[in-house]
Amino acid sequence: MARRFSRSIFALPVAVFLVVGAVLPLLVLFMFSVFTVEDLDLIPDFNLASWRELFTNPTYGILIGKALMSGLAAAIGTAIIGYPVAVGMARLPPVWKGVALTILMTPLYVGELVRLYAWRLVLGTEGLLNSLLKSIGLIEQPLKILLFSPLSTALVLVYNNLPFMVLAIWISVELVDRRLIEAARDLGARPIEAFFSVILPLTTPGLAAGSFAVFALAAGDLLTPSLLGGTSGSTAMAMVDSLFGTAFDWPTASVLALALLFALILTAVILAKIVLSSRGARAALSGGLR
Amino acid sequence: MTASVSPASIAMDGSGTTARTDPVRSPALLSARGLVKNFGKSVAVAGVDFDIPERAFTTLLGPSGCGKTTILRMIAGFEDPTGGSLELDGQSLASVPPEKRPVNTVFQSYALFPHMTVAENVGFSLTLQRQTKDVVERRVQRALDTVHMVEFAARYPSELSGGQQQRVAVARAIVAEPRLLLLDEPLSALDRKMREHLQIELKDLQRRLGIAFVYVTHDQEEAFALSDLIIVMNRGVIAQKGPPDEIYARPANAFVADFIGGASLVSGRVAEKKAGSASIATPLGVIEAEANPAVSVGGEAVLVIRPEHVAFVGEGERADAEATVIHAIYQGGRTLLEAEAAGVRLKAWSTERIAPGAQLRLALDWRRIFVTEV
Repeated sequence: MARRFSRSIFALPVAVFLVVGAVLPLLVLFMFSVFTVEDLDLIPDFNLASWRELFTNPTYGILIGKALMSGLAAAIGTAIIGYPVAVGMARLPPVWKGVALTILMTPLYVGELVRLYAWRLVLGTEGLLNSLLKSIGLIEQPLKILLFSPLSTALVLVYNNLPFMVLAIWISVELVDRRLIEAARDLGARPIEAFFSVILPLTTPGLAAGSFAVFALAAGDLLTPSLLGGTSGSTAMAMVDSLFGTAFDWPTASVLALALLFALILTAVILAKIVLSSRGARAALSGGLR
Repeated sequence: MTASVSPASIAMDGSGTTARTDPVRSPALLSARGLVKNFGKSVAVAGVDFDIPERAFTTLLGPSGCGKTTILRMIAGFEDPTGGSLELDGQSLASVPPEKRPVNTVFQSYALFPHMTVAENVGFSLTLQRQTKDVVERRVQRALDTVHMVEFAARYPSELSGGQQQRVAVARAIVAEPRLLLLDEPLSALDRKMREHLQIELKDLQRRLGIAFVYVTHDQEEAFALSDLIIVMNRGVIAQKGPPDEIYARPANAFVADFIGGASLVSGRVAEKKAGSASIATPLGVIEAEANPAVSVGGEAVLVIRPEHVAFVGEGERADAEATVIHAIYQGGRTLLEAEAAGVRLKAWSTERIAPGAQLRLALDWRRIFVTEV
């Protein structure tokens, strides 16, 4: 006992740093949330008006709900597209895995702004996709829905976050013993049945890890909706940004930020509870794959 | 004759119905002709022909890397042959996926699904066949009963010992009543006592089910204990196939003789050949013994002398050689001696403890010594 304690002492500075780094800003936010603003001055008193605003003005609820929905949509979208990619990568010879990994990560090497403006060029009314569709005669008028719509936001959120999902699932698939898949086939499972009965349950930890990453990144994404979403591009994050900045309404900004944080954490906890209590996850996490 | 017999019907009918005829002579269930498998430039299986009898326990025996597991994987459908053919009941297995073959496998590492209970593991194939819950339950129960694991049905694989996992793997592989059961070194991860115990059970199970077992192992004692038919492999080719006693008594070549039963090999030149026997000139003198018909006069050959073919004789009795003991390995009850005579090393059993350096007079059992190819 004493020995274990003496070793964990090395982790203490980092732990202190993490706690202070995470808890202090939250405390500050909470403090601001009960202050009031008068003539662009922050007055330190105790006033729950901003919290009341959160529950009475539906805008905030809608924006938080929208953040959660886009996070979930991105997580589901990347999972559906990511699984075949990850399983395919796991079957490549080792050398090709390196190549596939490099290709997978390419979008991340390009700056986010560059990527988003590139998408505008692809999806715009005079963009690549519309020109292509027009030239092969599939459409006569450019499709307006391709850009500045919830569709374009969702598409790019999925695209941007796909590498994180694929990476998480891929590592998880690599850990599943190939013989388990062979055993399933041997016992009469078609490839798709082997996927759903063996690979999917045993890779839920990877799916969970990927989902959390994508969910958090997409739900908190500010640039993608505002640059590609057009009129649909208002987000809770953008609201926080403008409340802190131009509006100088720090109490409301703090309330919204805290509420968003709480909603994200709650969703993640519920997801974790559901996914990680599955038998596949328990088997995988208790080292049953070896 | 008995194409698909359920485990329980045999268990209830009693014993002996399948033992009357020699299982090795039962019709061929699986035939391989010119079977080849290359991995890139390396040759794993270099063109082999064999038949797996429908009711026999057949073992693919050989050192690691000899191609035995690759053959098993081709039969299961996990690897596509590079060349040649595999036929089951006269139907080609080419392009038949693993899930469509009436073949099930017991894997070396058991490969039990860690997220399913024992009962779910065993019932996996039946569930895929969309059998009703009642049928699945009954047949799972029966299969678990066959391997004495009924009381573990609700456990998870991680809660079982190696031997118990092995039994579950067997139950899972026989529950769908395959025509052919493949076993890939299924006992190699177990301790000796458990291994010997399960060997007896596996042999017994094969007799009761009356289906073809194809067993892969590098352990010759295991092969002898279990098999009706042994196929000895070396470097991707078949070195010899036949019943265990045939392979032991008449090894086709020096590799088989050496790999099986720890024989002493004495090289020499064939001096004379008669029907069934040959004389071979060795450092021990010219010895006439039963011979592999493939040896030719004037060619190199080896004399296969097993430890039990060597006897110690006293002064005044006829002796074939005077030898000096080099090593004595005490094995409890008996000692394996390695002795040198005329520059040749011979192994022999002794019931007495003899120290290295001792001088012995040896007599060879000429009727059981065998001459074979190098």
